Amino acid sequence: MLRFVARRTLQAVLVVWGVSTVVFLLLRLSGDPTLLMVPPGAPAEAIDRLRHQLGFDQPLPVQYVQFLVGLLRADLGDSLVQSRPALAIVLERLPATLLLGGAALLLALVVALPLGVASALYRDTWVERGGLLVALLGQAIPPFWLGLMLILLLSVRTPLLPSSGTGSWQHLVLPAVTLGSLTMAGAARMTRVAVLEQLGQDYVRTARAKGIAPLGIVVRHLLRNAAIPVVTIVAIDVANLLGGAVVTETIFAWPGIGRLVIDAISARDYPVVQATVLVGSVVFVLSSLAADVAYGLIDPRVRTR
Amino acid sequence: MASRSILARRGPAFVAVLVLALAACTSAATPAPGAAVAPTGAPTSTGAAPRSLTIDLGDDVATFDPGLQYNTASYSVYRNIFDQLLGRDANTGQIGPRIATSWKPVSQTEWEFALRKDVKFHNGDPLTAEDVKFSIDRILDPAFKSPQYQNFSTIAEVRIADPATVRIVTKSPYPVLLAQLVNLSIVPVKYTKEKGAAALNTAPIGSGPYRFVEWKKGESVSLAANGSYWRGTPYFDTVKFRAVPERATRVADLRSGTADLAATLTADDVKQLSADPKLRVPTANTEAVAHVYFNVLGKSPAAKREVREAVAAAIDPKKLIDALLGGQAAPVREMLTPVHVGYDANAPTFSYDPQKAKEALARAGLASGTTLTFLTSPSFDQRIVQAIQGQLEAVGITAKIETVDKPTYLKKIQGPEHDWGDIRYGEWSCSCLDADGVIYPLFRTGSIWSSYSNPAFDAAVDGARGTLDESKRQALYGTALRLLHDDIAAYGMWQTRAIYGARATLDWQPTVDEQLFVFDMKNKP
Repeated sequence: MLRFVARRTLQAVLVVWGVSTVVFLLLRLSGDPTLLMVPPGAPAEAIDRLRHQLGFDQPLPVQYVQFLVGLLRADLGDSLVQSRPALAIVLERLPATLLLGGAALLLALVVALPLGVASALYRDTWVERGGLLVALLGQAIPPFWLGLMLILLLSVRTPLLPSSGTGSWQHLVLPAVTLGSLTMAGAARMTRVAVLEQLGQDYVRTARAKGIAPLGIVVRHLLRNAAIPVVTIVAIDVANLLGGAVVTETIFAWPGIGRLVIDAISARDYPVVQATVLVGSVVFVLSSLAADVAYGLIDPRVRTR
Repeated sequence: MASRSILARRGPAFVAVLVLALAACTSAATPAPGAAVAPTGAPTSTGAAPRSLTIDLGDDVATFDPGLQYNTASYSVYRNIFDQLLGRDANTGQIGPRIATSWKPVSQTEWEFALRKDVKFHNGDPLTAEDVKFSIDRILDPAFKSPQYQNFSTIAEVRIADPATVRIVTKSPYPVLLAQLVNLSIVPVKYTKEKGAAALNTAPIGSGPYRFVEWKKGESVSLAANGSYWRGTPYFDTVKFRAVPERATRVADLRSGTADLAATLTADDVKQLSADPKLRVPTANTEAVAHVYFNVLGKSPAAKREVREAVAAAIDPKKLIDALLGGQAAPVREMLTPVHVGYDANAPTFSYDPQKAKEALARAGLASGTTLTFLTSPSFDQRIVQAIQGQLEAVGITAKIETVDKPTYLKKIQGPEHDWGDIRYGEWSCSCLDADGVIYPLFRTGSIWSSYSNPAFDAAVDGARGTLDESKRQALYGTALRLLHDDIAAYGMWQTRAIYGARATLDWQPTVDEQLFVFDMKNKP
C-alpha cells in the first residue's frame, strides 16, 4: 500500500514537472519580455542592460537549469511586473479561485443530480425533454455571453445582484452560475445515462419486488451505483473549472488565478505564468487523487478488493 | 487493492487539511500600517456622511513603488499617494509647480529647483531635498533595475544645495528634463531605508492628497483623504480603485451605480452611456498619434518614394475616424499633436486623392498595382489595419497583413536589417508632450525604432535636443517635420481620444496626459 502511495506521488511529481517544462519552453518560444518592459523610445543599450539584469541573455539550457533548481527550493523567481515572489502572488489569489470553483461545482451538482435522475426516471416525458434542453443550453451557451447577459439582466435592468467584485455571498452568485453552467450540463447528462443504465440491473428489479418505495430504491441503491461515473466526470471537470475561471474571473472582476494568468501572459511575466500553471496542475492532480478516494467511499467493493 | 482502502480512510483527514490550509491564506489583503499611526488622515467633511468615490480601472495595481512601476493602473493610483516634483495644468497641459515652487537653468546642463518647506509625509516626516535626491538616485541605481531608468538616464547627478534646494546635473543639455520630472513621484528616504524598499510597495507612505488604506490584490485599492494636505483638504473622503478587466463590465458597473467613474472605454460604449441620463462621457484628446509608418530603408516597394506617395494619397483618415472610431479622434497634420512642444500648426500635410495615388504608382512603373507587407500585432486595433488595407486595395495596392505577437513585432521592427515589411500602423505616446520623445526615436538615424535616415533631419533633431532655447527648438522641429513630409517617412493621421464614463453629477474633466488625480474631482452642486 505504501508502494501505491509512493507511486501515485511520483506520478504526480512527474506530471507537475512535465507541465512546468512544457510551460517553460512555450513561454521562451513566444518571445522576449524585455521589449515589452521598456518605454517606447528606449535606447538599445538600455534594453540590453535590462535583458542582462533579468537573465534573458543566458542560453536556454542555463535558464532551464536555474528554473529547475529554483523549483526544488519552491522558488519560482520574482514577478517581473510586481517585483515580488511569483509563488506568493499566485497563492494569495488561489483562495478566490477555489471559492468560486467550489461554489460553481456545488451549484452545478445541486442542479445536475436531481435533473439527471428525474430525466432518467421520467423517460420519454416532458421532464426528460426539459432536462435535456437545460443541459443542452448549459453546454451550448458560451460563458462570456452568459456572464454578460446575467449582468445586463440582474445587475443593470433589475438591480438584484452586484455586477462585479467580491465582498458578500451576493457577489458570488452570478460568477458561480456562469462558471458552473458547463459542469452542470455535463454532470446532468452523465447522471441521466448512469441512472438509466442502473435501472435495467437485476438489483433494482429485486428491490422493486421486495416492495421498497421507488424513492428509497433511487436514494439507497441506485444513486450509489450511478455515482462512480459521475464522480469521474466531475473530477476531470475541475480542469474545465480552472480553465473557465479565466473567462469568468475576467468578466466579473474576480480576483483569482484565472485573471492573474491572463494579465501575466499579456505582460510576458514568465515567473507568474509558470507559478500559476504549476499551482493549477497541483490542484488538478490533487482533485483526481480526491476522486480516487471518493471511489472508495462510495463503493465498498473498491475498499475490500 | 488494499492500498485504495488506506487512501479512502484518510480521505476526510486530507480534506480537513485542505480546508485548514485554505482558511489560513484567505486574507490576502495588506493591512495599512498608516491606519493606526497616520496622524494626518482624519476624514474632514463636517457632519454629512463621508463622501466616497469608486473608480473602475482596466487593470490591477502591480506595485505602489513609483521607481518600479511600468503599468498604467499603478501609475494612475500611486500618483494620488505621492507628490510629484512638477505638475501639469489640468486645462492647458503647461508645466507648473508642485513640490518644486520655482526652477531655473544654472547652465546648459544644470537646473536648480526650489522646494516647498511645508510638505509632510503621511507619517509626519518632513519632505526635504534629501527625499528628492533619493527618489531620483534609486532609479539611476543599476542594482534597483528600475523600468523608469530610460526616462531619467540623462541625469548625471542630483546635488543638495540646502534642505529646500536641489540641483540636477544632466550629461548633456536636455530640454525635456522638466517634462520628465512631471513623472517623478517623491518617495520618503527615511521610511524607505528604515522599512526596506518592499514597504514602499506593501505599505506606501507619500505626501500626496490621499493615504494608502488597503490593497485587496487583484481586486481593489482603498485610499483615504490626507486631512493635512498642503494644497487643501481633498473633496472625497475615501476613494476605491477597482480592477475590472472586462470593458462591458465596467460599463455595467457605471449603469448599475457600482462605479462613479470608469477608464479606458471605447467609441462603441459612447452611444450606450450617452443614452443613460444618470451618466456622462468625459473625453479628452491624448498625446498619442495614430500613424502609418513606412520602411524607407527596406528593400521592399515602400523604399520607393512614389509608392509611399500612393499609400498616403489612398488613405482617407476622416472616413476611418467616422466609421471605426465613431468620430472619437481629432485629425492631425503631422506626427505631433497640438499639445506637443515642437508642434507646427502650418506643417504641410497629406490629403486623400485616389487619382493622385494611381498616378504615383504609374510613375513608379507599377500602374498594374503592387503588393506591400503590412506588419501588425493583435495589440493594435485590427479594424483600422483592415480598413487601411481596404482603402489601399481601392487604388490597386495589395496590402498583405502579417500578424505577429507583440514581442516578435518589436523585435522585427527594431532589427537593424529593416526587413520587417513595408508599412505598419501604430499609436505613439511618449508621456512627455515633446517632439523629442516622438520624432527623435521614430526617425533619427540609428534609433532602433527608425527605418528612415536623412542627415538634414538628424542635424535638426540633434540640434533641438542640444539646446534649452525654446524658439530655436521650435524652428528646428519645423524643419524636421517638413523633411519628414517631403520624404514621406510616415503619415500622422489623428490624435487618439481617451474615453471615460462617469456619473452625471461628477465634476471632473480628463486631461491630455490621462491622469486620474482624485484631488481634482468633486460632485456638482
